[in-house]
Amino acid sequence: MITLQGVSVKYRLLEERKRSFQAYVINYVKGKRVAVQTLWGLREVSLNVSKGESLGIIGPNGAGKSTLLKVVSGVIKPAEGEVNVSGKAAPLIELAAGFDDELTGRENIFLNASILGFSRREIEERFDRIVDFSELRDFVDTPLKHYSSGMIARLGFSVATEVDPDILIVDEVLAVGDGRFKRKSKDRILEFKNRGVIILFVSHDMESVRNLCNKVLWLDHGKARMVGEPEKVIAEYEKEMASADAVRTL
Amino acid sequence: MVNTLKEAKEIFRYRELLRNLVLRDVKIRYKRSALGFLWVMLDPLLMLLVFYALFVGLFGRSVGNYSAYVMSGLIMWQFFSQGTKVASLAFLQNRNLINKIYLPKAIFPLSVVASSLVHFIFALVPLFIILLLSGAKLGFNLALLPCVVGIVFVFSLGIALSVATLAVFFHDVIYIYDVVLLGWMYLSAIFYPVSILPEKLQLFMSLNPLYHFISLFRAGLYDPVLLTTEHVLSGVAFALLSFFIGWGIYYGNRDRIIFYL
Repeated sequence: MITLQGVSVKYRLLEERKRSFQAYVINYVKGKRVAVQTLWGLREVSLNVSKGESLGIIGPNGAGKSTLLKVVSGVIKPAEGEVNVSGKAAPLIELAAGFDDELTGRENIFLNASILGFSRREIEERFDRIVDFSELRDFVDTPLKHYSSGMIARLGFSVATEVDPDILIVDEVLAVGDGRFKRKSKDRILEFKNRGVIILFVSHDMESVRNLCNKVLWLDHGKARMVGEPEKVIAEYEKEMASADAVRTL
Repeated sequence: MVNTLKEAKEIFRYRELLRNLVLRDVKIRYKRSALGFLWVMLDPLLMLLVFYALFVGLFGRSVGNYSAYVMSGLIMWQFFSQGTKVASLAFLQNRNLINKIYLPKAIFPLSVVASSLVHFIFALVPLFIILLLSGAKLGFNLALLPCVVGIVFVFSLGIALSVATLAVFFHDVIYIYDVVLLGWMYLSAIFYPVSILPEKLQLFMSLNPLYHFISLFRAGLYDPVLLTTEHVLSGVAFALLSFFIGWGIYYGNRDRIIFYL
């Protein structure tokens, strides 16, 4: 279950980031408080996602899609509002963030899985399944710097999806590896969906949103423009995008 | 208070991550050099050589066992300084992770100090070699050593949390802290005896936590004469003070860090 109640996230854009003591002190003495421009990453967003639902999040760049994912996964504490997330949330956001080039595939599996909060016993239990799914058995003791980017992405996907999450957070990572692995990872996400795992899916590809999600949230400048049936929301969204394009070409 | 306990529990829940971060530090630092882990031991030995060559004539007589004196001071100093110096970058360098996945962030400075402890333990090998070679009488207060190490660990963790958090908001902290460390080293009676200082400065010495730690360390190793209650009490007090200040700075700002990374 995910419940957001009037959630707002405030970003502070410092005009010129006053990150030195000197500048800070001088400005303070002059009575100039650092010029802060506030940008609302999210503005009073309320949302309900229950078990078995998969929510697509769409909107132009900078609309607050990633911010919303960060709020749900606990990376950002909102300035206002209530966030209630029950169950374990697993982020499939930029899978390779926790990897280290110098370490081997095996060492990276342990490192990355522990970043997701696993104990050593839990990782050992899942180790073989992770390696099998990634199809990287032959390279498991090779340092990651010798992997191709596709191989790294495969390994990351395999670790992150062995989590047994209640909530899967997907930020446009369906395109992982070669064509066959892409299908395989798509299947795995569908498998999660069928098991009743909540999926939050951010994408610019309306086709994948239609295929995966049974509810869509349209974010615009941090505000929820529309929530509902995928067909309806996507149609409205595309209409607006098209008319914005038309205005631009005029 | 309840929330502080919750945060501490979170860190404990992520203990496997802590272990892996420390392992990574240790592995990576030495993977690429031919002598590998031997550098942990060679490094203080080479430093000792320099100090010995330069200063044994000056301070050797008033110290007694000069090589044991310098070596123990150096190794304790490096435990503290290496850990806290690297820790100043702990949040900034892990911004990728902190930005993407929920983690109890304190785990990063904590892991850096823990790595430094691992290096310290390895550096005990050359230390004991020097102690034995120089004919120091060991074993008076060896049981004191784990306590001293614990105290310095807590102290370092406090400083690490402070500088790591402050560096997120003011990058200057990284450079300022470098300079502070440099001066601090010369003020910590590592290669000279306190007795050569003018009396006024000797009084100031008791305000230097590292002076107490190093004295306690030497007392535990080979020179029980140095063990005075003053060092014990001051050492513990400084460690607790540092820890509570560091934790306060981290804890009060932990949800703001993400917006400044």
